[in-house]
Amino acid sequence: MKRFFVVSFLFLLLLAACAKKDAVKLSDSIQIVSLTASLNPVKAWDTTVITVVATGDSLQYGWKANHGNFTGGGKQIRYAAGECCVGLNTITCRVFNNTGEVSDTVMIRVTSYIHPKKK
Amino acid sequence: MPKIRFLLCFNSLLLLLINNESFAQCCSSGNPFISDAEQPALQSKVLTSSLTYRYSHASKYYAEDSPFNDLPFEQTSYSNYAEFQVGYGITNWLTVMADLGYFFNKTLTTTGQDPYKGYGLGDAELYLKFNAYTNPRLKFSISPSIGMKFPIGVFDQEVDNVQLPITVQPSSGSYKYTGNIFVSKGMGKKIALAAFVSYEYSQLIESDNFYYKYGDQWIGAIYFNYHIWKGLGIDLQVRNEYRAKSTRENDEIVEASGYDVVFFTPQLTYAFKHNWYLSAYSDIPVYKYYNGIQMSFGYAVSARITKKIDFIALKARKEAKK
Repeated sequence: MKRFFVVSFLFLLLLAACAKKDAVKLSDSIQIVSLTASLNPVKAWDTTVITVVATGDSLQYGWKANHGNFTGGGKQIRYAAGECCVGLNTITCRVFNNTGEVSDTVMIRVTSYIHPKKK
Repeated sequence: MPKIRFLLCFNSLLLLLINNESFAQCCSSGNPFISDAEQPALQSKVLTSSLTYRYSHASKYYAEDSPFNDLPFEQTSYSNYAEFQVGYGITNWLTVMADLGYFFNKTLTTTGQDPYKGYGLGDAELYLKFNAYTNPRLKFSISPSIGMKFPIGVFDQEVDNVQLPITVQPSSGSYKYTGNIFVSKGMGKKIALAAFVSYEYSQLIESDNFYYKYGDQWIGAIYFNYHIWKGLGIDLQVRNEYRAKSTRENDEIVEASGYDVVFFTPQLTYAFKHNWYLSAYSDIPVYKYYNGIQMSFGYAVSARITKKIDFIALKARKEAKK
């Protein structure tokens, strides 16, 4: 019984540890022309719209941020971040199709929400 | 055989440490604190296993120790979570324990927006508990423990190629190291008092565009246990959870992170035949202080089923039957 639990647990840990991500395949046929934000800097919880312009066939878009949240999707996305994410944040846009992918980043500064006690 | 076991264990830990490159965000603290972890070390060849379900809910922002209602939207955060825990007394002085959490959902709703919903494995924990001192006559015991948490769940979950907010990611994304001490004292046949102190250190998460370290966490709790009637017992717990501020890129302090919350946790436990136990409890915050402006803890309700197997007693019973 003891052996069963120890081996099961180690097996689960190994499974989790071995789940490596696929290698990124860069594409020569996709080009990101611009990646811009409508508002930068932006106050905590306010929204800025980020737009990517890219060339290529049947493009799809992926979005990541080191801090903050997105709503929407596709070539234009809304980004907002709370007080937890005040600072200079990195937004990464990934453009991809069946030939591979390319990515670019835009830095957005999120400033603090004005605290009423400090007004 | 012991050598092979050691190598397996060592290699697992090594692989987990190496595989620390896929993290990309900040701010989630991983599995919730399950208040039953603080039990004395087990006796030799005793196995316990438990399954806990927990629903937690939050909807209020706090600025320092007051509700903050000036935001132009309303948000609600809730989760349905299960944790499997197993413990085994290797010897009378050493107990090995492990737990694994799973979020059925971790949801954030905001007025006027589609909700965010994350799910999946949370963190796993492995720890060793020592029976440092026991005096059966005085009903007094001291059980320190050390452990490590592994972020085995995902920390960069996406929907339609768009990353979900950190608040709904199931894993904390960080390796954590914990040290605890549990002290209990029985008083007569029906009453026991206990205290628990825990410290947690989070490892820095570092990747291409990401650098984040959770603040250190301290938890202190006192327990009052009363055996009401037959198998029915009540536990009253007062617990203080403190987390220091986090650090992000360029070693900037995240001002709106870290908190100090005092919980009251009443718990009812019923002991059934054959060492089955059923518990129900809730976490109610009675004092909250948050640095900056942060979503504050609301409440949580939990239910747990536990099975205890004493292999020495089982063997003795089998031999007696023969």
